[in-house]
Amino acid sequence: MTQLDGRGIVEVSDGGVSVELKGETMTLNIGPQHPSTHGVLRLVAEVDGERIAKLEPAIGYMHRGKEKLAEVRTYAQITALINRIDWVSGFANEVAFIRAVEQLMGVEPAPRAQMIRLILTELTRISNHLVFASSYPLELGAFTPLMWAFREREHIMDVIESATGGRFHPNFNRVGGVKPAAGGGKTQKKVSLDLPAGFYAAVENAMDRAELACDELDDLVTGNEMIQMRAKGVGIISYDDVIAYGISGPNARASGVPTDLRKLETGLLPYEGIDFDVITRENGDAFDRYLVRILEIRESIKIVRQAIGSVPDGPLQAKVPRVLKVPPGSIYVRAENPKGEMGYYIVSQGGRIPYRVKIRSASFSNISILSKVAVGQLIPDLVATMGSLDFVLGDVDR
Amino acid sequence: MIAFAVPFALWLTAKLLVALGLMLGVVLVVIWMELKWSAHIQSRVGPWYVGGRWGWAHPLAEALKFLQKEDLVPDDADDKVFRLAPYVMLAGTIATFVVIPIGPSVVARDLDIGIFYLLAVSSLSTLGVLMAGWSSGNKYSLIGGIRAGAQLIAYELPLVLALVAVAVQAGTLSLTGIVAAQATPLFHIGSTGISLPFVLSGQIIGFVVFIIASLAELNRTPFDLPMAESELTMGYVTEYSGLRFSMFFLGEYAGMVSMAAVVSTVYLGGYWLPGLSNDLLDWLGPFVLVGKIFFIVFLFIWFRWTWPRIREDQLQQLAWKWLIPLTLFNIVATATLKVVF
Amino acid sequence: MTDSPSENTPEGFAADFAAEIGAERWTADNDTVHVYVTRDKWVAAATAARDEAGLGFFSFLSAVDWAKEVAVGEPADDVDNLVERYEVLCRLSSATEASAIILATSLDKDDAWLDSLTSVYAGAAWHERETAEMFGIEFRGHPNLIHLYLPDSFEGHPLRKSFALGAREVKPWPGTVDVEELPSTTNVEAAALSGDDTAQSAPEGEGS
Repeated sequence: MTQLDGRGIVEVSDGGVSVELKGETMTLNIGPQHPSTHGVLRLVAEVDGERIAKLEPAIGYMHRGKEKLAEVRTYAQITALINRIDWVSGFANEVAFIRAVEQLMGVEPAPRAQMIRLILTELTRISNHLVFASSYPLELGAFTPLMWAFREREHIMDVIESATGGRFHPNFNRVGGVKPAAGGGKTQKKVSLDLPAGFYAAVENAMDRAELACDELDDLVTGNEMIQMRAKGVGIISYDDVIAYGISGPNARASGVPTDLRKLETGLLPYEGIDFDVITRENGDAFDRYLVRILEIRESIKIVRQAIGSVPDGPLQAKVPRVLKVPPGSIYVRAENPKGEMGYYIVSQGGRIPYRVKIRSASFSNISILSKVAVGQLIPDLVATMGSLDFVLGDVDR
Repeated sequence: MIAFAVPFALWLTAKLLVALGLMLGVVLVVIWMELKWSAHIQSRVGPWYVGGRWGWAHPLAEALKFLQKEDLVPDDADDKVFRLAPYVMLAGTIATFVVIPIGPSVVARDLDIGIFYLLAVSSLSTLGVLMAGWSSGNKYSLIGGIRAGAQLIAYELPLVLALVAVAVQAGTLSLTGIVAAQATPLFHIGSTGISLPFVLSGQIIGFVVFIIASLAELNRTPFDLPMAESELTMGYVTEYSGLRFSMFFLGEYAGMVSMAAVVSTVYLGGYWLPGLSNDLLDWLGPFVLVGKIFFIVFLFIWFRWTWPRIREDQLQQLAWKWLIPLTLFNIVATATLKVVF
Repeated sequence: MTDSPSENTPEGFAADFAAEIGAERWTADNDTVHVYVTRDKWVAAATAARDEAGLGFFSFLSAVDWAKEVAVGEPADDVDNLVERYEVLCRLSSATEASAIILATSLDKDDAWLDSLTSVYAGAAWHERETAEMFGIEFRGHPNLIHLYLPDSFEGHPLRKSFALGAREVKPWPGTVDVEELPSTTNVEAAALSGDDTAQSAPEGEGS
């Protein structure tokens, strides 16, 4: 055996000469500023040519310390904090928290408010999935779906804004119900305000447009062979890995795990009266994750159409005391955020501020599997996998 | 053309400058076309304000913008190679315009080995890309440059083989000869001769393969992995700014125009349109050619904004497993048909 | 596993499970099942949850710092009877049904270590890293216990009750008000006092 000045080993034998060159891996920092990492995510990758030998995500660039901040805020103020966790689906973040506080206080929310919460949650789900369905092809190189889907998404944003006053951070939930729609001035103080006029028509129109977006995306993206070539068989997550890593939401359903918290957590929002299917797929590759979300948009459109026909009348908010004191106790409530399972573990010691709030965010667990799934992939495949997991850094870092 | 009693060198320089000027003009128009068409594909409007209606001066504004940007050379970069790379790439593309005929007797230099020269010179731009990727001192650029090198080398072959079939059918390597061959009648109906451009008279496979291969040579989607923004933050062009970046930019569009010109000349008949006499074509020829170039460029733009990009290894498989066998079959078929008929 | 009908309620399920793994106690208030074990039974309890109770879905792992004195915020209610400790919580649920438990164990503050669950659940790795850097708990057997969120040079453990919040050093804790006073002049305060009591402080709030 001879060394080739440290670059390899030469073996000479009767059968001939064999040379084994020692290659070196290159350390490549993908991020934190990068067009396709959904925010400030840094992936420290050791690459051998273009193949990834080792991948270590370095997160925390967006850590805002929400759990510590929540310990010095009243429950109403915390709602403003938490709808910035997963900023693409602003309204859906608040639902689990407010339901947790309501359950601790023993307050039964107003039925009308529950239905409105359901409608708004599904609208944010459609909005979130449209963002995904259009930015995922962008990472694979198709520039056009983004423009088309965002155009239809504007209608949903307009609807949410008309009801809540905010497009991304509605801050709309109150304990016992939802906030009476934006009104102002002293004369309207005694009049109970409700959803704006023409709300249901606007929602219908937004749903029609969303369905149009789905059809266009199906034509342009889902059936496209190049997208299928890039996404099928890429980034396969097995059923067992989903369970062990705590992956939830469409990512889990794409691997065959039939978990949908809208059906499991029955007390949270009134989904029982609504007829919809849980979409699952078997393969667990990037294309399945994409497909699950596209089909979920259609299911959510179905849900919204049924829901706006069955909103009960009544007050928008149940009677709650003016000063919100939550009795001592601890509770964990989770909801089906568009990205997965989002839950809040609240420890209350009586009083007006919580003792501890633990935020269980979906994307944190979802991307913890990256270091396992990425090994052996090419860099373009890594981008395809990451995009298909649909995470935002606010959700990862809190 | 009227022969001037001037030295050959001066005459040649003049012709080259005219060719360069024409090309730059066409390139600027093509940049505007890309901006506008991509906008309309994406339900946007595109350039609107610059220069009055329809934003026609937008490419000029962009060029001026690039000229006044700071000129950066990274510390880690290999200085001389870094500075030279964009010009090498641009030179390769511009040099192809020398042989493209824009009229029956209007061509910068009618070389007998037209196609051969074309292919040889257009691969200079590969060298420029590799130089850029290597010398930038940046890992992303390196990966982009190596990817580009592999891609360009792989797709040279289908390009060359497709043109071989054309040469077989035309019987000559010279581009003016190829256009003349397309202009000669294939068969007669009554007393009128029907001549067809090569795309319609047996080279359809070659046409499709050439379009695919030229998209890969130009690093355009669906083959734009070397400059894949969403992965490599601009690939081999990452470290370039200002004038040098605009050279790459220009080089990409000049390449597009030059490839479109080659396709138009070789497959679509170049400056020739059926029913026009040679005298008319002396004046109309350039416009006909430019019209065909715009059509091909439209195809290129349409493809870019509709499709995603495919991965490097899939790209290589496409080239080696599909395009090359197809072009070989095309050559054999062309030769057979040529002998039989 | 017994298959008595008591399994279907959270209380029944908790009682069965707690009995099975020899837990100290269990509670099922607010539809949330807590099962308290001692430190030495931590990994065994988690393994039993996964293998026998069908709770293989790793939801989260975190901790609560029970302290008598807090740097910011309000202290616990019953301070005199409070036992100062770190309580590590781990929620395990079923992937396909709604049953779940929160395993909890208490650690002394000056002896804060726990066996890592990475051998049982691969997903515990990141959660344990976060808990370790936020509370200063050592997870023995963890393959890579480095900082997850905080920069490497960060000193201190932020989620401990003794850790002061930087923003509150600058501006002191105003107490439990819903609308803090704006930190500047009379005009703004007057406006806040007179016109601002409709949208923001309906229905709950001090009302100014």
